[in-house]
Amino acid sequence: MSMTMGIVVLFVKMLAVLAVLLGMAAYMVLLERKLLGWFQLRPGPNRVGPFGLLQPIADGLKMLLKEDIIPRDAERLLFLIAPALLALTTLLAFAVVPFGPDLVIGGQVIPQVISDLNVGLLMIMALSSIGVYGVALGGWASNSKFSLLGAIRGAAMMISYELPLSLALVPVVMLSGSFSLTDIVNAQQGYPFILVQPLAFALFFVSAMAESKRVPFDMPEAENELMAGFHTEYSGMRFALFFVGEYVNMVLLGALTAVFFLGGWHGPFLPPIVWFLIKIMITPFFLIWTRASLPRLRYDQLMHLCWKVLTPLALLNIIVTGAFMAG
Amino acid sequence: MTLYGAIFYLLAAIILAATALALTRRALMHAVVYLVNAFFATAMLFYLLGAPLPAAFEVIIYAGAIMVLFLFIIMLMGVKDGRDMDAKKALAVWLPPVFLGAATLAAGWVLITAPAGAKEALPMARATPAELGRFVFDRYWLGVEAVSFLLFAGLAGALFLGKSGDEAGKTAKDGQGGAA
Amino acid sequence: MIVPLEHILLLAFILFLMGAVCALARRNLVMILLGLEVMLNAAGIAFVGASLRWMEMDGQAFVLFIMGVAAAEIAVGLALLVYCWRRSGSLDVNVFSRLKG
Repeated sequence: MSMTMGIVVLFVKMLAVLAVLLGMAAYMVLLERKLLGWFQLRPGPNRVGPFGLLQPIADGLKMLLKEDIIPRDAERLLFLIAPALLALTTLLAFAVVPFGPDLVIGGQVIPQVISDLNVGLLMIMALSSIGVYGVALGGWASNSKFSLLGAIRGAAMMISYELPLSLALVPVVMLSGSFSLTDIVNAQQGYPFILVQPLAFALFFVSAMAESKRVPFDMPEAENELMAGFHTEYSGMRFALFFVGEYVNMVLLGALTAVFFLGGWHGPFLPPIVWFLIKIMITPFFLIWTRASLPRLRYDQLMHLCWKVLTPLALLNIIVTGAFMAG
Repeated sequence: MTLYGAIFYLLAAIILAATALALTRRALMHAVVYLVNAFFATAMLFYLLGAPLPAAFEVIIYAGAIMVLFLFIIMLMGVKDGRDMDAKKALAVWLPPVFLGAATLAAGWVLITAPAGAKEALPMARATPAELGRFVFDRYWLGVEAVSFLLFAGLAGALFLGKSGDEAGKTAKDGQGGAA
Repeated sequence: MIVPLEHILLLAFILFLMGAVCALARRNLVMILLGLEVMLNAAGIAFVGASLRWMEMDGQAFVLFIMGVAAAEIAVGLALLVYCWRRSGSLDVNVFSRLKG
């Protein structure tokens, strides 16, 4: 493949992924509101377009037209870049997610992943740890008590839960022998890892729920005690960026769960990309379901769960997996 | 100068500028943010120099854990100003570091200029994570154990320091987060 | 072809120097700890450069150890810092010049 051809293919792939992601994030908001409505025996949004299908577009337009308020005592630069940091890191993580097996078009092999890094899994971890800055700096720069409290809670919670999150993925790396997400999916040709690693899956899922700062782990933005936590002072499109970050993060967690535990694009009958999209949607559905059914955890319960339950279990799981693989 | 050479000089400039800005800031929060930039550029430098695994860990550990901990402590204590108190004793404060700095520079200059024939540019090479992991656990398994003991000692120490203060429970958790 | 090892070492030297001067000259505890981090980072850059020069992975292995040590150091360091802040309400090292608490 020539150099220019490669660059064109790369740009097409990036554009496609970006468009699909932003579209999915917008409609994830609608899905969440619809599902929450049905869980609570009400119809959900149904005014804009058939079944409320145009609601995300109306929301987006509204956000764009709202005034962008910057508090007088805010740290201007940090306040401005914090939402972008959060949205950017989540979007970038999709650069290493494989959407399907290699395509062959006109004799050219085109992998359905933007960049198959051999440290792909670590890059996702790195990006998610950079994402903490979006929360912490956004809350601190607003110069508001609610935001600061939300930022402190968010920073502590997110670095704590990163530990069980990454430890839960160690057995997956041990079984597949690679950090590359494509290799991990290929290693699940016969059976998905959820069958051999149910504990790791449970640990990953709970930690991922905490990483996405959603109910029951939404301490940083607890509405009824902190108003909106770290994004209290944000308005207009910057507030929307925080939202885009959160919903893209939901899609990302769905994609990661699919890649690490559900066998990625592998599946009978349907084409690989369809299987992958179906598997992506499983996790967001469960996240919305838990939001509709569980109350919020107290802060000390949250830390207890992380340090005294999840982390030891994850370490134990690694030891047991290692013993099985060696024996 | 090759393309990779140009990238190296660009990254080096970013690292030096960000570090210099970080270390001269008055506001602690700004210092931390600049230093995060420096660590991020360092990670890319590591990747350029054929060390993808250390590059990933540079971001995860330095930028993602250590610097967040600094940020956390600064936010928790509510200190905004990192200004130095005694402007009067400026000479006494600055003389030792300047002297040490000059000595280090001299030693560095000797070290850099001494080995003749090492002027050729370095080739591109890459150690895959699997190779490096196998190498570390083959050759330096004792070191890995030592570091894990050190981390455990750090955890215990941070926990003890947090507990022996006034509000025991609150900072004990910070200590735990730090040692991890 | 990237650059000669000398240039990498020079970068590491300047960084180390900046960190050392900051750790020695600044009187704020947080800035001293940041200076230490910069010094460790400079050592890491030198190790990675040397690792590429001699095509041995020892240098990269040492970078991993440096990161482990830095994490442990900063955990205790920040716990001490919080302790000092609670005892005296200041982060200036000159306040901590007495032997008795």
